[in-house]
Amino acid sequence: MTAVRCVDLCKTYYQGEEAIKALDHVSIEIAEGGFVCLSAPSGGGKTTLLNAIGGLDKPDSGEVYIAGRRIDNLSKGELAELRLHRIGFVFQAFNLIPVLTAQENVEFVMQVQGVPAARRGKLALDILEEVGIGGLEDRLPADMSGGQQQRVAVARAIVSQPALVLADEPTANLDSKTADGLMELFRHLNEHHKTTFVIATHDKRVMSYAKRLIRMLDGRIVGDIEQDAA
Amino acid sequence: MYLVFRLAWRNLWRHPKRTWLTTGAMLFSNVILVFMISLQFGMYDLMIDNSLRSFTGHLQVQAPGYKDDQKMRQTVADIASLATSLRAALGSDDVAARGAAFALVSSEDRSYGIAVYGVEPGYETNVSTIPGLIIAGRYLRDAAAAEIVIGAALARNLRVGLGDELTLLGSGRDGSFAAAIVNVVGIFDSGLADIDRSIAEIPLDFFQDMFHMEGAGHEIVINAPIIDAVPELQRQVGALLPSGQELVVHDWDALLPGLKQAIRADMSGAFFMYGILVILVAFSVLNTQLMSVLERTHEFGIVMALGLTPGRLGRLVLLETAIMGLLGLLLGALLGTLLTAYFSVYGFAYPGMQEMAEKFNLPAEFFPQLSPLTLLAGPIVVFLFTMLSALYPALRLHWLHPVEAMRAV
Amino acid sequence: MRMLAILSRLAWRNLWRNHRRTVIMLAAVIIGSWAMIFMTALMRGMVTEMIRDGISALPGHVQVHHPEYRDDPSVANLIPIRDAEIAMRFQAGGFEDWATRVRVPAVITSEYDSRGVTLLGIDPTRERNMTFVDYDEVEGRFLESVDDSGVVIGRKLARTLNTKIGKRIVVMSQDPDNEIADRGFRVVGLFTANIVSFEEAFIFVGKTTAQTMLRIDDQVSELAIQGDDYRDVETIYAKVVELVGDGVEVKRWYELDAYLGTMLKVMDGFLLVWIVVIFLALSFGLVNTLVMAVFERVREIGLMLALGMKPRNILGQIVIESLMLLAIGLAIGTVLAWAAVQPIKDGIDVSIVGEGMDMWGMSSVLYPELILSDVILANVVVLVLGFLASLSPAWRAAHYEPVEAITKV
Repeated sequence: MTAVRCVDLCKTYYQGEEAIKALDHVSIEIAEGGFVCLSAPSGGGKTTLLNAIGGLDKPDSGEVYIAGRRIDNLSKGELAELRLHRIGFVFQAFNLIPVLTAQENVEFVMQVQGVPAARRGKLALDILEEVGIGGLEDRLPADMSGGQQQRVAVARAIVSQPALVLADEPTANLDSKTADGLMELFRHLNEHHKTTFVIATHDKRVMSYAKRLIRMLDGRIVGDIEQDAA
Repeated sequence: MYLVFRLAWRNLWRHPKRTWLTTGAMLFSNVILVFMISLQFGMYDLMIDNSLRSFTGHLQVQAPGYKDDQKMRQTVADIASLATSLRAALGSDDVAARGAAFALVSSEDRSYGIAVYGVEPGYETNVSTIPGLIIAGRYLRDAAAAEIVIGAALARNLRVGLGDELTLLGSGRDGSFAAAIVNVVGIFDSGLADIDRSIAEIPLDFFQDMFHMEGAGHEIVINAPIIDAVPELQRQVGALLPSGQELVVHDWDALLPGLKQAIRADMSGAFFMYGILVILVAFSVLNTQLMSVLERTHEFGIVMALGLTPGRLGRLVLLETAIMGLLGLLLGALLGTLLTAYFSVYGFAYPGMQEMAEKFNLPAEFFPQLSPLTLLAGPIVVFLFTMLSALYPALRLHWLHPVEAMRAV
Repeated sequence: MRMLAILSRLAWRNLWRNHRRTVIMLAAVIIGSWAMIFMTALMRGMVTEMIRDGISALPGHVQVHHPEYRDDPSVANLIPIRDAEIAMRFQAGGFEDWATRVRVPAVITSEYDSRGVTLLGIDPTRERNMTFVDYDEVEGRFLESVDDSGVVIGRKLARTLNTKIGKRIVVMSQDPDNEIADRGFRVVGLFTANIVSFEEAFIFVGKTTAQTMLRIDDQVSELAIQGDDYRDVETIYAKVVELVGDGVEVKRWYELDAYLGTMLKVMDGFLLVWIVVIFLALSFGLVNTLVMAVFERVREIGLMLALGMKPRNILGQIVIESLMLLAIGLAIGTVLAWAAVQPIKDGIDVSIVGEGMDMWGMSSVLYPELILSDVILANVVVLVLGFLASLSPAWRAAHYEPVEAITKV
């Protein structure tokens, strides 16, 4: 089953008078259970592609399919529903709601989905254990390190067991040890839960974990290779 | 200096919405203050003027004790000639002598106890509006004629009209019986129930005859051209009084103490409300400026590291506040003026004014008047409190340490 | 419903994220709502007293007269209502507080002076709850029966006439044939009234005594009926009309004194305006606070939208935040206002402007009156308007583009 399919995506941004082609006829297909890294130098278009896949941003032209369903022409409300139930996001920064504790942040999506309190509490605690920050569930984001925050974000992204996890430069603010720990977690989840991962990054370390590496430059795909994960 | 101003100005417009909302608060309260204060003071002026010009006048010369006791025998001797000499000395015709007595007035059908005033027909017009409010017939002319003018309500109660005869019965100055028959030559309508129902006027000479006054009277009413001239006029008149008798000059505040008090009572209520308004605006400014300072902590830290003193920064904040304050003041004064000007042409009325008008001698529709005082008083106070509330955020800067500040987000 | 719980929690925590800002805004709301409610209590107390005094001067919530009495309140226009008859009919109708009285213009003469007054011939046992005279505060004694041969006059009148308890005075009026009707009375009591001018305007004698003196058999000038609440006279009015039949005029208090009647309405209108003005002054600060808060949270709002929260929930969150702030401020402000009213429950003495108050028809003691409907009005108006005011920043927040919001620096 194809988890993600993009057909001929184009997107242009205007900065003042300059036109920047963020996506220039991009087409890709990602199978279920895939562990894909999108790499590009800064501004190469990987964030835009990720946003398009996640339904956060509409491409100027082209089509996007998630699990066989076309999403680029959905309404805002439908896209919100999609993001709520089927896609998990890990952003580069500001992943957490500052006024909620770690546990509450993880439970947030489930709460909005309507999962009953007892069940979601258990699920949240379990997943926090799994990502390795067991005792910190009552901490506020401001009281956690960058690495810990990122782990909570990951926990939140996967707790409702989405089919697809999109991560945008998840290790950008982390020291190398924490970054390794995070990638290990991703790999673990990919192998045990069969979650499809699409990770945008320009960190070589992260790229070494990928099973498939897609290189982008100036909005175009310039390389697409299978590799052995480290 | 100009640079600082430009900096302050630009800082304000970094967050246009915030600046406008804060200025808006000042604007709003300024408009209200300008309008309300103009309305209020205009109303007070009118109230005073109407009340005094209708009958009491600005000043009255009386025998000592008459004001409180109102006894027939507390008289001013040779009142007509005293009035004449005052007129000459002051160079004004707004001086009129009166006699006052309580009498029973009877028509064919009815009798009522009323206050009868003997007036100088030629001069009473200058000190009272009653002669000008005749709605039927005419006012008194001849000082010795057996004529009377009465209020419309009294005429109705007595069931008389023009040309009818009325009998007056009372006690003379010496306690003796006083009686006369007079002809109704005029009916007036002042709009004030109290006056229309219980006051009648007859010529002074006739009054003095009837009540055995022997040339005396009870009060000389003197009006000044404008109310602010009253204190000076009072001094002048005091100096002109004959040393033979003991006479006193009372100003209108002594004659109608209720008037000033009524105004004072109303003003205190109003000032409480204005005060609250100003305080709320001050809080609004405090909040805004505090936030504005706090969110620039990092930036201020850098600036201080580069050598700027906290004092200088504080002054910057105050300058920003002052600019906003001036904006609020000028715009508020402008809009307030426009609003007031509109109503001063088209009149301002609210439900219930009609009834108030009848009771308190005020017009049913009101035209607020702008003056420099009413225009600026409110906005200036708002500005002052605005600057005051900016002191705390400005002072806070003194405790700012550059390094800590730069660590802030 | 569960969304409400989620949003409320978020709203509450976000409120306290920025202590200083919230506290300052809260302080402003507290001051504003305190001022609203405290002032309201004072004004309502003022108006209630005024109306009560006015009604007790009439007296009664409903009055019955001869159709022409109001135009010509003299001895010619009486109604032949016999007490015994009335007693039966009214008892059946469920009325307890009613009284008939004689009310005609008269002249009172002492050894020293005369004055025009209104003579009231009353039944003291029936009038206790209706009249403005406080029986217990009367110097000497009040009238004891309808046959009482004494007269009770106001303290001020006694001073003016230079008379006192135990002395004789003569009351003179007209009988239906226009003949003089007079009688000597001994002054048995002196009354004081809230409205000082009443002390000079009214004198009380026994009803039967008056009827005999005026030679009017058992006719009376007016029948006054008092209900429980001056705000609700319609039911009494209807019943009275039924019970008294034709040939007479039945009027409600606000028809008898137009000024009083509109006072209530004017004040209700004024209170609403006062509440709205205060709210508007607060609203600038409120909207500013929300705008600033939303601006600071752009990224996390973007995050929530990205995670799949619906825009309307973002809107709800902001609105709830605003309402929480207002609700807390209102609650505290209301309690403080209540607390401020307690120590002055027995009235504030404003006799330094006493004569002024008299002019407005008010006594020189101000009683605050805090009623639930006023408190509810203030709270509801502020919450509703607050809701409306918060819609704009909330709507703006809800319509952020997730992508832009998240990437905002």
